[in-house]
Amino acid sequence: MLAPASLWLLAFLILPVASLLILGFTHRGAFGACEWVFTWDNFRRAMDVKYLPIMLRTVSYAGTATLLCLLLGYPLAYFLSFQAGKRRDLFLVLLMIPFWTSCLVALYSWIIILGREGLISHLLMRLGIISKPASFLGTPAAVILGLVYFYLPFMVLPLYAALEKIPRTYVEAAHDLGAGKFEAFRKVTFPLSMPGVMAGVILTFVPCMGDFLSADFLGSPRTYLVGNLIQNQFLMVQDWQFGSALTSLIVLFLITGLWARHIFEEQGVFEGEGEE
Amino acid sequence: MSDPDRRLTRRDFLRLGVLAPALPPLLSGALSACFKREKENAVNFFNWSAYIGKDTLPAFSRETGIKVNYDVYADEEEMFAKLRSGALGYDLIVPTDYLVPRLKAAMLIAPIPMEGLKNLHNIDKRFLHTPFDPQQEISVPYLWGTTGIGYNKKLVSKPPTSWRALWDEKYQGRICVLDSARECIGISLLLNGCDENTTSEKDFEAAKALLLKQKPLVKQYTSTTYVDSLVAGEAALAMAYSGDVLQAIKENPHLDYIIPQEGSFLWMDCLCLMRGAPHPEQALQLIDYLLRPEVSADISNTVRYGTPNASARSQIEPTLRHDPRCYPPSSVMSRLRYHTPPDSEAYSLWNETWSDVKAL
Amino acid sequence: MKRRPTAPRRKKAPQRGGLWGATEKLSRLRKTNGLLAYCLGLYGFLYLPLAVMVAFSFNGARRNVVWTGFTFKWYASLFHNAEMARAMATTLEIAVAASVMAAAMGMLAAYAMTRHAPFRGRGLYAALLNAPLMMPEIVMGVGLLSFFSRVGLPLNFWSLACAHALIALPYTTGSIRARLLSLKDSNLEDAAMDLGATEWQAFRQITLPLARPAIISGALLAFTVSFEDFVTTFFIAGIGIVTMPIKVYSMMKFGVTPEVNALASCLLVLTIIALTINRTLVKETKS
Repeated sequence: MLAPASLWLLAFLILPVASLLILGFTHRGAFGACEWVFTWDNFRRAMDVKYLPIMLRTVSYAGTATLLCLLLGYPLAYFLSFQAGKRRDLFLVLLMIPFWTSCLVALYSWIIILGREGLISHLLMRLGIISKPASFLGTPAAVILGLVYFYLPFMVLPLYAALEKIPRTYVEAAHDLGAGKFEAFRKVTFPLSMPGVMAGVILTFVPCMGDFLSADFLGSPRTYLVGNLIQNQFLMVQDWQFGSALTSLIVLFLITGLWARHIFEEQGVFEGEGEE
Repeated sequence: MSDPDRRLTRRDFLRLGVLAPALPPLLSGALSACFKREKENAVNFFNWSAYIGKDTLPAFSRETGIKVNYDVYADEEEMFAKLRSGALGYDLIVPTDYLVPRLKAAMLIAPIPMEGLKNLHNIDKRFLHTPFDPQQEISVPYLWGTTGIGYNKKLVSKPPTSWRALWDEKYQGRICVLDSARECIGISLLLNGCDENTTSEKDFEAAKALLLKQKPLVKQYTSTTYVDSLVAGEAALAMAYSGDVLQAIKENPHLDYIIPQEGSFLWMDCLCLMRGAPHPEQALQLIDYLLRPEVSADISNTVRYGTPNASARSQIEPTLRHDPRCYPPSSVMSRLRYHTPPDSEAYSLWNETWSDVKAL
Repeated sequence: MKRRPTAPRRKKAPQRGGLWGATEKLSRLRKTNGLLAYCLGLYGFLYLPLAVMVAFSFNGARRNVVWTGFTFKWYASLFHNAEMARAMATTLEIAVAASVMAAAMGMLAAYAMTRHAPFRGRGLYAALLNAPLMMPEIVMGVGLLSFFSRVGLPLNFWSLACAHALIALPYTTGSIRARLLSLKDSNLEDAAMDLGATEWQAFRQITLPLARPAIISGALLAFTVSFEDFVTTFFIAGIGIVTMPIKVYSMMKFGVTPEVNALASCLLVLTIIALTINRTLVKETKS
C-alpha cells in the first residue's frame, strides 16, 4: 500500500534531488552545456570565501525570521490551544487563509504598503514622525518581515499541534501542587511543547534558507540571499552546475534538520492538525 | 510492501539498485505515451510578455483558421533555461540578437526557409545581414529598441546626459539597473574604454569593480519592474529599454528617456523557428503575417518599440514616428551598435562577472 | 511511533454551572484579554496585505501604486479576459488532478503506516513523507526541471500535476493519518474482522467511509497547495500551461494592473469557501 507513495517519492523527490546533487559534480561545457566529467570545482567555488558574506547573511536572516516566528507564534499557538475555546475553529481558519493566498499577491501588497507612496509612509507623515515620504522597501527588515509573514503558519501549526497533545490534567496537577500560572507554564507546558518548537523551527528555518521571492521583491541588491544566487545560476547565467552545488548545501541543511528531528521524536508534523 | 512481516534485506536493495536506473525511462515512456499532443492546425508561439498588438493574433486566427497557442516570458534567460531543459514543442520564439548564435549553437533553432516569406522585402535593408545572422538564414527581424536611461523628471534636478548619472551618489537608493549581464557589463566595458570582444580577465575585473562601485546606490537590479518604480517615484533614474519607458510616458508624462552621449546598444528581437517545431508551415505563415506593413505598424504603435518594417513606417502614429526616443536621428544612430555575440569562453566570463557583481 | 499512555486528545471539561462557573468564566475572560488582544494584533498583521489587495482591486489607476479613485471596472474586465479564464481553468484542472492523486496516495500510505506492523525505518519513511513540506521550493523546482530534462519526461499537464501531487502529499497523509489513528482507538475494524470480515472488506466498509471526511479535508488542502504553488510550477510548467500564479507573476513583472487584485480577491473568496467546507467536515468527524 506504500507503493504509490513510494513511487512518487522516488520519481518526484529522491531522484530529482539526487540528479541535482550529481549535476553539481559535473563539468560545465560550452554555453553551460553539461559535460560528464567528474569535478569538485563547483563545490570548491561554492565554498569560496567570497561567498561567505552572503552565506552568513542568509543564515542570519533565516535565523532572525525563525526566532521572530517563534516569539510571535508561540503566544498565538498557546491561545489557540488553551484559550480560544469555541472560537478556535474560526481562528484556525483565519490563520490558514493568508497562508493559502497567492504569495505573489501578498508580496505585491507589501510593496504597496511599504513603498514611498505607501500606507506606512503616509501614516508616519500624518503623525508628524517623518517630514517627507520614506520607503521601507529594500531594507533587511523588509525582507525579514516578508519571511516572517510567509512562514508564520509553518511555526504556529506544529506548535499548536504539540500544545494540543499536552494532557490538560498535567497542567491542572501542577496548579494543584501549588505552581503559579507562570511556573506551571515554565515547568510543564513549555517543556512538553518542545517537539512542536523543534518541528516549527525546522519547518520555518529550512524553507527560509532557500527563499528568494522575499529578497527579490522586498529587498535591495544588498539583501541578496543564497536563494537568489541559486535562482540566478539556473535562470540567468545558465550555470546549472554551480547552482546545483549551492542547492546541495541547502539540502544538507534539510537533511541535518530532519535527522535532528528524527532523533528528537518520531512524529508526523501535521498530526493532531485537523482533529480535536 | 503490504506484508507486515516483510523486512527489506540487502538483496532487496541490490534488486532495487538494478531496477532504479530502468525506472525513469519506463516512467517517462508511459507518461508520454499517454499524453502525446495530437497534430492540430495551430502554432505554438513563445513571445515576450506585452510584446504584441491587442488584436494581432485573433485577427491572424480569424483569417487563416490557425489557432495560436500563445505563451509569454518576462525574461529571455528564463526562456533559454526552459528551452534548454527540454520545454520542446514551441514553433516560434522571439530571442534578442545576441541570443541567436547561442540558440543555434545549442541546436535549438532551425534555418527559416526565407523564400516562403513573401513579405520579407518589407524589412529595411539596414536590419538584414546583421553581425548575429550574417547569412540571414535563422532569424527574421521583429522589433528593435535601444538601451538608455529612463528618469522621473520630478526627481532629477537636470536631465541626465551620460551613463555616469547612474553612478551619481545624489541618487543613492533611487537607481534601478537592468538585471542583465549583457547590458551592465557591456556599458561598464564601454565606460572603461575596453573593447566588447575582450576576453582579458583584467578588463572584466575593471568592469566588475566599476559595477561594484555602483552597487551601493542601486535600488534594484530588475529588467521589468523599473517602470513601476519610476512611475511611483521609488526610483529617480533607471537603466531602461526605450519602449518600456515610452509605453509608460503615454499615461505618465513626467517620465522621460534619453540615449547617453557615450553611445549605447541597439538590439533586435527576432522571430526564430524552433528545431523540430511541430507546426513549421503554420509558423511560417505567422511570420509572414507579422511582416505585413499594417500588422507591424499596429504592433509598434502598441508596444512603442521601433519596427524594422520599412513599408510600415507611413502607418506609424505621427507622434511616435517623429519621436527621436523611439526612432533616433542618424546622428544618434551612429553612436549605437549591436552587442557582439560572445563565444563560449567570453560567455563564461560575462556570466561569472555578473553573478559575482550581484552576489558580492 | 510513540504515543503517550494517556489519551492525548483533550476531553471536554464538564461544564460547571452556577455562580462558581460564572465567576470562573469571568476571571478567565479577564486573563485572556491581553493574549486575545495580542492575537488579534497578529491577525491584523496577517490580514493587512489582504485588505490592501482587496482595497486596491477597486482602485481607478492602472498602475497599482497610487490611489486615484473607486471603480468596478477591473472586475468587469476580469470577467471578459479570455486568457485569465484559460489560466483559471488550467489551474483548476491541475489542482483537481493533483489533489485526487495526493488523496489516494495519502490514504494508502496512511493506512499502511497506521494499520500494518512497523517495518524497519518507518520513522525515517514518515520523515521522508514530510520532506516535501520542508524542502525549499527552489530545490524542488530546479531538481524536477533538471531531472525531467535528463530522463526526457515531457513537461506537460500530467508531469506538473504529478509533481503537485507530491508537494501536496504531506498534507493528505497527515490529515488522513491523524483520523486513522483516532479510529484505531475505537477498534471498529478489529471488531469487523473478528466477525469474519476480510481486511479488504473492513477497509472498504468501515475504514474508508469513516475516514472520508479526513480524505476530503486532506484533498482540499492538497487542492489549495496545488492551486497556490508558484515556485515549482514556475520551473516545470511546459508549453501552454499557464497557471494563475504564473500569470500573476508575469503580470507583476510588468506592474500588476488592479485586474490581478480583483482576481486575487475572487480567489480569496474561493479559498475561504474551501477552507470553511474543510473545517465543517473536520467538525463532522469529531461528532
